[in-house]
Amino acid sequence: MRTRWRHDDGHTARRPQEVTTEIGVSRIDRAELRRFISEKYGEVATNPELGFHFHTGRPLALMLGYPAALLDKLPAGNLASFAGTGNPFLFGDLRPGERVVDVGCGTGLDTLIAAQQVGPSGRVIAVDMTAEMRQKTREGVDEMRLSNVEVREGFAETLPVDDGSADVVISNGVVNLCPDKLAVFREMLRVLKPGGRIQIGDILVHKEVPQDSKDDIALWSG
Amino acid sequence: MLLELTGFTDVVMSNEVDVFSGSKHESDAKEFETRGVTVYARRPA
Repeated sequence: MRTRWRHDDGHTARRPQEVTTEIGVSRIDRAELRRFISEKYGEVATNPELGFHFHTGRPLALMLGYPAALLDKLPAGNLASFAGTGNPFLFGDLRPGERVVDVGCGTGLDTLIAAQQVGPSGRVIAVDMTAEMRQKTREGVDEMRLSNVEVREGFAETLPVDDGSADVVISNGVVNLCPDKLAVFREMLRVLKPGGRIQIGDILVHKEVPQDSKDDIALWSG
Repeated sequence: MLLELTGFTDVVMSNEVDVFSGSKHESDAKEFETRGVTVYARRPA
């Protein structure tokens, strides 16, 4: 196995001292954390104009490298509540006919882009635990008249998706919200076909996070 | 890296983006040097 650290400027990237995708130990009750995050992101879905501790919407999407022309074609409601931390499509467009799982689809921005890229012969399963997010995604799917998207309720650690059924798993700003990151990655591996790939946006933390911060539920969702 | 421990291979990371710059979360993000990133990896064939 080999890890490459790609930088467009040709410089060798340093390996992060700590990556949020590594096993983190928090004493926070998992059910309580899910409720807290679901409430927070429910607000993002329904009232994006409120303003949050993180950026949202079109300015964030542009910062992350989504082309303006692409964003112009998406429903305003889905774009306004976008709260990703990366851009799954930086590693290339998805191919027509591919089967995609969007883990923690949020308001569906990436789901809508993926559905267009894989076309009518492809399929996107969008999974989210938050009802408001799923509703927003469904509204976008209806507005764009997409017939190749299925929105499902579920958790990243226990995806409601068959084994070995996906060509690609995408996700954006979700793994960092999950205390059991190993379970999330195992699920992604489980649902992928052999040779399948993940293209996920998330966050890196370069400095050690002290225990009291790991146990501060407010810091988990900003 | 956890992805490799899980069984993924060919892990590639994008450039990092200071996604919290200018946000209300900026001070916390700076304290822990938090950056946005995109990751690619494959399940072995």
